Amino acid sequence: MKAAFALVVVGLAGVAAAQPKPKTGLVERSRLEVAPGGRPIKQLTIENPLGDIKVEGYDGQSILIETTKTAPDEEALDRLRVSLIPNPDGTVRILTAADGGKEIKPLSRGAVKIDLVIRAPRDARIDAAVSAGSLTVVNMDAGGDLDTGSGPISVRNVAGAVSTSAVSGTTSLTQVFGSVEAQSLASDVELDTIGGERLVASANKGKIAGRRVRARDVELTTTDGKISLEAESSLRGRMVVASLRGDIDVKLRRHGVVIVRARGAKLSLGSSMASAKARSDGWVEGQLGGFKPSTQAAIIELRSRYGMVQFAVIE
Amino acid sequence: MSCTRIRTLLTGYLDGELEADDGSVVRGHLRECAACRQAATDESALRDGLRQLPPVDPPPSLWAGVQAQLAAAEVADAKRPAWRRALARWAPVAPRFATGGLVAAAAVAVVWWRTQRTVDDAQVPAPEVAITAPSPEVEPKVVPPPSSPAGDVTAELAGEAARTTDTYADAAEELLALATEARVQWTTEQKDAFDARVAELRGLIDRAPEGRSRQRAWGKLIKYLQGAVVRDDIALAGGGL
Repeated sequence: MKAAFALVVVGLAGVAAAQPKPKTGLVERSRLEVAPGGRPIKQLTIENPLGDIKVEGYDGQSILIETTKTAPDEEALDRLRVSLIPNPDGTVRILTAADGGKEIKPLSRGAVKIDLVIRAPRDARIDAAVSAGSLTVVNMDAGGDLDTGSGPISVRNVAGAVSTSAVSGTTSLTQVFGSVEAQSLASDVELDTIGGERLVASANKGKIAGRRVRARDVELTTTDGKISLEAESSLRGRMVVASLRGDIDVKLRRHGVVIVRARGAKLSLGSSMASAKARSDGWVEGQLGGFKPSTQAAIIELRSRYGMVQFAVIE
Repeated sequence: MSCTRIRTLLTGYLDGELEADDGSVVRGHLRECAACRQAATDESALRDGLRQLPPVDPPPSLWAGVQAQLAAAEVADAKRPAWRRALARWAPVAPRFATGGLVAAAAVAVVWWRTQRTVDDAQVPAPEVAITAPSPEVEPKVVPPPSSPAGDVTAELAGEAARTTDTYADAAEELLALATEARVQWTTEQKDAFDARVAELRGLIDRAPEGRSRQRAWGKLIKYLQGAVVRDDIALAGGGL
């Protein structure tokens, strides 16, 4: 195993000289290329609590890492560490840290930063976490698991299953072709051009906005925030859009028969749902397209306990 | 002795070249300082890996570049007045030492990334050095953060996971309170199912190590509670969509 996976590490620069910058202190840049000797690199795990991560897919097999460290002085710069840990199973880990110790001069967190720009093989899965920095993933084909504290997550042109988790950083997913699971505690989730089997997004205190969404199984949930969605229905698809206190506004491009059920503090279902009937349990239900119940029908459920529910069909 | 001083002695310590007193001081420091211990472990592991490497021939272009710079330095030296040459002999940073240092720094940069520093590529041509190293088959060691002064970045980072977890816990508590309101409409069976699932998810949280795993476990609980509170998943169990 050991012999089967050898790494070729090519350092592209290495001269001891830090660049002073008037406002940010010292800036230290380095570049490193990590190429697989045996197995291709299949997963890249990056944890950077000290700054930004940007991962960009490309057609090569190596990983190219550009690191920018910023610190007020030489001593602080020396405390910033980036560790590269290649594993025999084809995974590579990149971790950042600030060395501590009993005798160090205290250094505020805002005074230091490590930013990572990484070019990775497109078919590598990305597992990445930031804290207050931004996390950007573009042009990848194997999805990823992305976590943030208060920094924004941005995913663009990515295939494969994507899972995101944010405390208070906004999540923006654009052109994602694969199942998506996005969760946010206190920030917004923006979805644009999502096409996968399953889309599950939830926000506790934030809102969810989706455009050009086409997934067979859609589940959008907020506790307090508004949900606005422009989506296409799929045959036998299922779409649940639910909020406790937020308003719901769904515009649907219909394909085939669709059954719509809605319940809210106030309903506005548009002229296309004029024939909808109120049920005894408080739901209003109607069918779009076809005259008989169809096994091919897509089911759409819209509900807000305290908010307004709006629905319209885009012809 | 400070961490900075210890780091400068690490190489000698690992080579067994320190005087007995210094060696003892370094050893004592490593027993107490996790950061320096990790640095020593990293360097030791790196040395073990490097010892197994076949000799590496630097690319011809590298030596050609070095020779060209040496030659240029000699030509420049010959053209300078005698007094400047005499000064240069005593100057702490002579051109050839600078060139040698450049090459040495490049080599060090490759074997230990954290010591790399670059200047603008346009100003200094980047040397290329390639090594083939067997990848370590060990899991990365998780080193507990060393104690640092309050307010220091290390201490702040060490406490961050716990603070984030607290935020998740607060959100979960709010949703649990909402679920308590909703459960009056549930049957006993539904309440039991809900309580069992919440207990199961709390168990997952307790067993998960602090950090991303625990936060993801909290995320699962929050998602389940949102389903119960917002989508009536519990009340609709078996009769929903």
